[in-house]
Amino acid sequence: MKIRVKLFGTLPQRYPGYDSSQGFEVEVPDGAKVKDLLARLEILPSDGGMVAVNNLVAQPNDPLKEGVSVLVLQSAFGG
Amino acid sequence: MQFIRVNMSDQTVKIEDVPQDYVGLGGRGLTSIMINNEVPPTCDPLGPENKLIFAPGLLSGTPLVNTSRISIGAKSPLTGTIKESNAGGTVAAALGKLGITAIIVEGVAPQGKLFNLIVDQNGNAILKAADDFKGMRTYALVEQLLQDHGEKNGVLCIGPAGEYQLASASIQTSDVDGRPCRAAGRGGLGAVMGAKGIKAIVISLQGKSPDAIADPESFKQSARVFAKAVKDHPFTGKMLGALGTAGLVSAVNSIGAFPSHNATKGVFEGWEKISGETLAETIQKRGGQTTHLGCSQCIIRCSNVFIDEGGKYVTSSLEYETIWSMGGMPGIDDLDVIARLDFLSDDIGLDTINTGVAIGVAMDAGYKEFGDGQAAIELMEEIANGSEFGKVLGNGPAAVGKHFDHHRVPVAKGQSIAAYDPRGMQGNGVTYATSPMGADHTAGNLVGSYLGGVLDPLKAEGQVKASREAQIAMASLDCTGLCLLAGAALSVPEASEALLKMINAKLDTQLEAGDIPALGIRVLKAELEFNRNAGFTNEDDRLAKFFYKEPLPPHNKVFLVTDDDLDSTFDFK
Repeated sequence: MKIRVKLFGTLPQRYPGYDSSQGFEVEVPDGAKVKDLLARLEILPSDGGMVAVNNLVAQPNDPLKEGVSVLVLQSAFGG
Repeated sequence: MQFIRVNMSDQTVKIEDVPQDYVGLGGRGLTSIMINNEVPPTCDPLGPENKLIFAPGLLSGTPLVNTSRISIGAKSPLTGTIKESNAGGTVAAALGKLGITAIIVEGVAPQGKLFNLIVDQNGNAILKAADDFKGMRTYALVEQLLQDHGEKNGVLCIGPAGEYQLASASIQTSDVDGRPCRAAGRGGLGAVMGAKGIKAIVISLQGKSPDAIADPESFKQSARVFAKAVKDHPFTGKMLGALGTAGLVSAVNSIGAFPSHNATKGVFEGWEKISGETLAETIQKRGGQTTHLGCSQCIIRCSNVFIDEGGKYVTSSLEYETIWSMGGMPGIDDLDVIARLDFLSDDIGLDTINTGVAIGVAMDAGYKEFGDGQAAIELMEEIANGSEFGKVLGNGPAAVGKHFDHHRVPVAKGQSIAAYDPRGMQGNGVTYATSPMGADHTAGNLVGSYLGGVLDPLKAEGQVKASREAQIAMASLDCTGLCLLAGAALSVPEASEALLKMINAKLDTQLEAGDIPALGIRVLKAELEFNRNAGFTNEDDRLAKFFYKEPLPPHNKVFLVTDDDLDSTFDFK
């Protein structure tokens, strides 16, 4: 199934030519979970990555749905 | 370990050894405990009985990285509560290197008189008449002061807003480049400084008499461990240097908690145009600085230098909170406008948070259109010119709300919320409602727990406990002079142990891990006691009513934490 992914933080730097307005489409197997997508994109826990789907923080074992938009961000807090 | 006590009523300056009662206290611990001890809680914040206290942290002036945060304390003219406002730049490290534990300003200068306080490299302090500096904006002021006294000085100052004694007036501090772009913004302490008749405090950066460290070898070793933890952490080591705190724009919008259009929506439609990613891209394209050293001894370098399309300097240290308050809240999706509003806030000496929200309330009341950047810039100039409406605006969102009889004013204890909606981050709502400071995000920000997926931001469960723990931890951290951002490294056990070791190595104490939260509780108790004696009750630990009635899209929640639960936050009261 196709998933649309947008990257944030310093993650776009890993993909030369990344289009920040469009993101990119990723093909994943049916039944794939959030953690499978992160593994596919080679984003490790040590990258401080977090995933948001439908304005909610997605947990690693959450299943992905066809056509969903996934935001991959870097966890933060600030001032 | 010395205090500089300045009495503005008779313009006397005294240097005294730190009394035994205050030994071992620094930063917010010192300011809050001293204010609770020495300031009558029902006094007029702009009158002679209030005290304005400038205190570097316990570790400011030591070799430890990221320790140049200064705490400024007083009774706030905005909230009427005790207040500690925190700023970076160079002054905290400078005071630490001079062995000055606090500058305490008492009394008020005679009507119409204005002074500068000059502290030289030997720690001597004198008051000088500052009539020539009346009405000056901070950038021109600091430029003149550094010319007069030399480049190797740090400056704390007020702009016209502080001289007008407006409730949103900030105290600006100079950064490593000598620009007054760092701010002790919250709580109107610039008004207190103006009421006391001080325009600027100039502090030599060349002090060579820091407090002796009892065990310098142990300190050095622990300082290395801490610095390594800061460098290795993905947030402090990589993200903050690359995007600054602006990296939060995408994260908070992604979970629908970014209060926009005067807190009527949790996602700002134009957020991608004003994200940290877009900011970094824009700065890079134009040849500005995406990473920048703003504060002494900082290894995170979250600051930035924003320039316009022609390469001309616009502002420095453009933060997440300002992008929110001057972007999301007034509905402005143009980084050039937001950067200009940031500069104007620094130059006029105004809290960007309280002021952006005040503009948002004015727009929501129909006075101007949401998204009208030019109108926002003109409103800032009105404040600087001291017009009638300018004064209303400069007194903050509660004043603007009253002026227009508008029902939607996002405050707690009269102070504006920050860039996290309480309906989208329920625990931040608990902090806003219960903090002795009024609606304050740094007092106990839970955004890291929400983004890390360990706490559900939309439910009432678990929020009070999380806010309590965060508020206690921050009250302790605020005593050290350490930057809140470097505090992220404390999640690493070795770094946490190293911090404890450094405090013991400096003060020759034998504190244990449990003593750290005990310090935070001691500070909070002093603050809560002051507020109680100033007339505050549990009924004041609440958010503005509309947060309980108006659901925030996209999740459509209201603030859910009950009054009883809020009242249990400080279970040590």
